[in-house]
Amino acid sequence: MLESEYQEQNRFFLNMGPQHPSTHGVLLIVLEMEGEYVLDPQPVLGFIHRMHEKMGESRPCQGFMPNTARMDYVCALPYNHGYVSLIERKAGIEVPKRAEYIRVITSELNRVASHLLWLGAYLLDLGAFTPILYGFDDREHILDILERITGSRLTYCYYRFGGVYKDVDDKFIETTRAFIKRMRKRYVIYEKLVTKNIIFIKRAENIGIVSPDMALRYGMTGPNLRGSGIAYDVRKNEPYSVYPEFDFEIPVGEQGDCLDRYMVRVQEIEQSLRIIEQALDRLPDGPVRSKVKKNIKLTSGDCNFAVEAARGELSYYLVGDGTSTPYRLKVRVPSYSNLSCLPELGRGILLPDLVSILGSFDLVIPEMDR
Amino acid sequence: MAKKKDYKNDFLHQRFDATETDYDQRGYHLEVVLDVNQVRKFAQTAYDLGFYIVFVAGLHVRPNEGHDKGNSGLVVVYQFARYDQLYRIKARVSVPNTLEIPSISDIYQGADWHERETRDLYGVVFDGHPNMKPLLLSEEDPDFHPLLKEEKKLKSLDEISWPSEAPEVVKGEAEAETGR
Repeated sequence: MLESEYQEQNRFFLNMGPQHPSTHGVLLIVLEMEGEYVLDPQPVLGFIHRMHEKMGESRPCQGFMPNTARMDYVCALPYNHGYVSLIERKAGIEVPKRAEYIRVITSELNRVASHLLWLGAYLLDLGAFTPILYGFDDREHILDILERITGSRLTYCYYRFGGVYKDVDDKFIETTRAFIKRMRKRYVIYEKLVTKNIIFIKRAENIGIVSPDMALRYGMTGPNLRGSGIAYDVRKNEPYSVYPEFDFEIPVGEQGDCLDRYMVRVQEIEQSLRIIEQALDRLPDGPVRSKVKKNIKLTSGDCNFAVEAARGELSYYLVGDGTSTPYRLKVRVPSYSNLSCLPELGRGILLPDLVSILGSFDLVIPEMDR
Repeated sequence: MAKKKDYKNDFLHQRFDATETDYDQRGYHLEVVLDVNQVRKFAQTAYDLGFYIVFVAGLHVRPNEGHDKGNSGLVVVYQFARYDQLYRIKARVSVPNTLEIPSISDIYQGADWHERETRDLYGVVFDGHPNMKPLLLSEEDPDFHPLLKEEKKLKSLDEISWPSEAPEVVKGEAEAETGR
């Protein structure tokens, strides 16, 4: 038998998903395999495509608010934040300081919740069952805190143009402080359970290395980019809201493997807690919502607003035409660009490593499919 | 952010039609209007200068009747930004009647999916793209483009541009629309 024939015989296609647990949602990846090696992974998107952008341009801009949370249901508040800030920039709406502080506190809480969920889910992909129970336990505290204030546990619609829907009370501040204290104690457990676990390190170290040039060509952002050593964070690079008033660092990795992406996210939890702590200390008094006209006119012209969601840079691009309905609303979501490097990154690796890479990317499929 | 560089001249030197814009108002620093045959050169320039790709998107406007004949009414918008400093570029190109514009997916591989998405939603074909198949929408119906607007809802590019670029008359027209 010729060698080429032998190779031909060993090649086959494998469908990973759309119901595979480690694709974290309805994502299909068609893998061309040779034995246990992946030759060409091609993601197939669109299983839960809902055409949010069309909905955005077929109703007055207020009506799109609930949609924002349904794109990334794991970290919805930054999506709220980006959209209200976009309309505020376009229509020139002033936001009271207290409202901006509340936005930052709740957004950062949501980011911590998202990272905790990711931590558990990633380790579940790698075969460790316990961390997700710890992660969900901590995350539950955040959801309880946010539920009291926002009225929902997952798909928040809490921010309004010109402020937030409801003021926070003393109990919110108290429970948030208690959570920060608790979370800092939990680090020790995570450190012992996961970070220094030799099985985990073997599955993550030197796997799926993303070089800075590759990140640039694919437009990667967020922790996936910072793992490659580029300290790019929209909160620092393009300061919005009241982020410039807080002292926090941008954790970066060294070589851009799965372990670096893991370490970046774990350290980001601490940085988010620092921001929340400072914001609670300095929370100003005053109104939480400024008076805004019911019929917001979006003047003609285009406008862009970027925020840092848990997975990277989220950009809203709006084209106004003088009516209250956007003429065009483009949502640039981070996971979409982050995953697009998979065909290049996943060439010639082992199948279990592909699972590790997918997990380390922290994908949210409804966000990609929109 | 220690160093701040203005990249306007880098693009002007390459003979691109680049205009500085008010960042506080628009959220980007430079607007570039491209000709179809400049798209690839522009992407290469942006890549050489170290920009990363933010998105590629489409826009449907009323085709120009007069001076700019031969455009389809579709516009493709590109956005690029930097990792090391705050600088965003928006570039737009009008798609000709053939609905074909050159693909930049070999310069910025990240544009691959964005271009396929734009084909899905608007029907713009990216010439030179290795895999111009539907991405988000179903493969069974490749000619369905949901973001194309109805004829009566279309507005011209001037009407949806910032007032400094468009004549004042347009404003009154847009005002009358808000009744619904």
